[in-house]
Amino acid sequence: MTTAIRHGRFGTAFAYMRTMAVFVAAWWALALWTGNPALLPTPLEVLKAIVALASDLELFLHAGISLWRMLLSLALATVLAVPLGVAMGLSRVLDGLVDPVVEILRPISGIAWIPLALFILGVGNALPVFIMTYAAFFPILLGTVAGVRGVDRRLIDAARTMGVPHRRIVARVVVPAALPSLLVALRLGVASSWTAVVAAELIGAPSGLGYAIEWYRELLLTPQVMTFIAMIGLLGYLFDRALRALAQRFTPWAADARMS
Amino acid sequence: MSTALPSTRSFALPAARSVALPIALVVVWQLAGAASGNARTPLPTHVLAAALQLIESGELPLALLQSLGRVFTGFAIAAALAIPLGLAMGSFAGVERNVDPLVESFRPIAAIAILPLAILWLGTGTPAAVLIVAYAAFFPIVVNTVAGAKRINPTLLRAAATMGLSRLAIVRTVVVPGALPAIGTGLRIAMGVAWTAIVAAELAVGAKAGGGGSGGIGQMMFVFYAYSIELNRIVVCMIAVGLVALALDRALRAAMRWAMPWAAR
Amino acid sequence: MNGRVKLKLEGVGKRFDAGGTIAVQDVTLDVVQGEFLVIVGPSGCGKTTLLNILAGLEAPSAGSVAIDARPIRGPGPERGVMFQDYALFPWQTVWGNIAFGLRHGPAGDGLGAAGIDARVRSTVELVGLAGSERKYPHQLSGGMRQRVALARLIANEPEVLLMDEPLAALDAQTRIILQEELLRIWGQDRPASERRTVVFITHAIDEAVFLADRVAVMTSHPGRLKAVIDVPLPRPRNDATRALAESQALAQRIWGLIRDEAYRATVT
Repeated sequence: MTTAIRHGRFGTAFAYMRTMAVFVAAWWALALWTGNPALLPTPLEVLKAIVALASDLELFLHAGISLWRMLLSLALATVLAVPLGVAMGLSRVLDGLVDPVVEILRPISGIAWIPLALFILGVGNALPVFIMTYAAFFPILLGTVAGVRGVDRRLIDAARTMGVPHRRIVARVVVPAALPSLLVALRLGVASSWTAVVAAELIGAPSGLGYAIEWYRELLLTPQVMTFIAMIGLLGYLFDRALRALAQRFTPWAADARMS
Repeated sequence: MSTALPSTRSFALPAARSVALPIALVVVWQLAGAASGNARTPLPTHVLAAALQLIESGELPLALLQSLGRVFTGFAIAAALAIPLGLAMGSFAGVERNVDPLVESFRPIAAIAILPLAILWLGTGTPAAVLIVAYAAFFPIVVNTVAGAKRINPTLLRAAATMGLSRLAIVRTVVVPGALPAIGTGLRIAMGVAWTAIVAAELAVGAKAGGGGSGGIGQMMFVFYAYSIELNRIVVCMIAVGLVALALDRALRAAMRWAMPWAAR
Repeated sequence: MNGRVKLKLEGVGKRFDAGGTIAVQDVTLDVVQGEFLVIVGPSGCGKTTLLNILAGLEAPSAGSVAIDARPIRGPGPERGVMFQDYALFPWQTVWGNIAFGLRHGPAGDGLGAAGIDARVRSTVELVGLAGSERKYPHQLSGGMRQRVALARLIANEPEVLLMDEPLAALDAQTRIILQEELLRIWGQDRPASERRTVVFITHAIDEAVFLADRVAVMTSHPGRLKAVIDVPLPRPRNDATRALAESQALAQRIWGLIRDEAYRATVT
């Protein structure tokens, strides 16, 4: 293997394909050995299922619905959490008042709300959106508070010495300075929310990727189940990449903001 | 300038503020709920009564123990696999290059999405639940361990190498202690994820596989929803879920502080 | 020193947290209009605190501080500050940073967009940043960032420039260049009445002697003004100035005043 291939982006792509090839080969061997397509289909069968679901658009239909719910939940959670987070970050008093409630509710994951929410909202569109909004709300809120609190004191001082009035300082210094943290918080919110989507749709929705997984499981059509699972993974990955690209585009100065 | 002890006033005010809003909300809940006239509406007083009932009858403790047992088992399995793997990936570029594609491909797939497969393979009982928990806990531990191992100051590594240590010895004596705080963080995050995963898994199994059998707090919650329609009991379960999550997190933080007093929080 | 008094510190003291550390104690100092005053001293002598008090970012616990006989009550663009690590707004370009105070603060009142642009342009030229207007701080070297910080400061046309170890983060060579640039921009060859007043903090004695009209020497624990030393070296100052015997003598004298403290700081 020449050094040219080993290193660099070409090398990484090659390593990726090599690993996945090994993985697929091992899977295939295992599938043939178990011999039960409902238990472990071969990679080929899964591929056929993917093609079938893609060509009749069912795959994209459910993906689109889940994605739509994700975006809606993200928007709702952001509209609620960011202003509150900024206010809490700026005012110790407000933070002292609201934070206890946040800390009490936060450990109760969005998923734990499903039964109660099911009762109030019933099966339908509203349930996943509610659960996902709730799940995204807390990471975004806490990340915003931390971001606002973490704004370099010196930047605010610099603006003060220029005579900039307080309101302007909040809008023109605090918010832009907190933007990188805010975008990280959004990424965490998305991750949290996308995890909740499956559980929410599996139990309480008539459509979407979570629903599709369960539907095909009951039919024991495992290749289709795997197709939708892979779709969930793919979309989650793309969403995260998109947000990273957004962060890179809008906050190029931020030191690498990595998710832990 | 006074050097007197802080007066009781300066303690009382923040303490009062921190419970003010929660208490106010509970009161509003009670009043609004009672006023709504709907007999089913969960009220704080009813919730409290239901909690006492469930604890006395042993149903709540049993369900929690079942769930916790599954969480700990899955968590232990995940840690046993993820920590060595993470250390290897963080220390040897070759390992990382070959394994990372798999890790990164599966990481975005939430544990709960794997549940139908787990049920297909292992049925609706504890083994499937443990698998889900282990899967869920695996990724945060790996990711954080790798990060911790990579963050080791390269100068330290070089110093150890110049002292003649083999690569394996370097991992053991320099990388592991240095990565410990990051591993701790990964464990803490993984515990939270694991607890959420078990509740979700039990809930889903309860919803799809019928009321009996699987056990655990998630399943109990669903039974209260679908069969006995006991909203107060659902709320009790929700609060229990929250309290356990808090307790687990605090316990892990304390364990970390005990094991690594030098690591900054 | 002759000339009109621009800033007056009288008996200024600062104590943090009731009963806590005394940062500065009983500092009385007149800063003359148009002079370049350098405050020098070991770490912990309260120089930054003093600057913050002059800037209005902190209030003194004792004594008074005034500009043109008006008491200082808070920060304002007439007393511009240059911070130790530049404090540039990372989301703004060089142009945006320099224009910030004019766009959002009182220094830009009555200027209008065209006026602001003109002012920023002339500042950019003066400070030597032409060509970099569209760059972001994270794309600039330390020396460039320092120029931007200075430009941002003087675009607001302050009467007083307060600088807190602005060259500390730069390497020695860049430092020397920027010291001369600073003097040029300040206008060292203009008469005192036309120059801005500068209060400059550093711990580098050679820097102090090179730049200053007067050097205020402070000691630490608690921070007190030990002496004020005239620096009658001729202006404009350049490399030749540094080699003068008189420069060396002044530096030695100042070092003699703080040497003991500096030593103690390394063993505690």
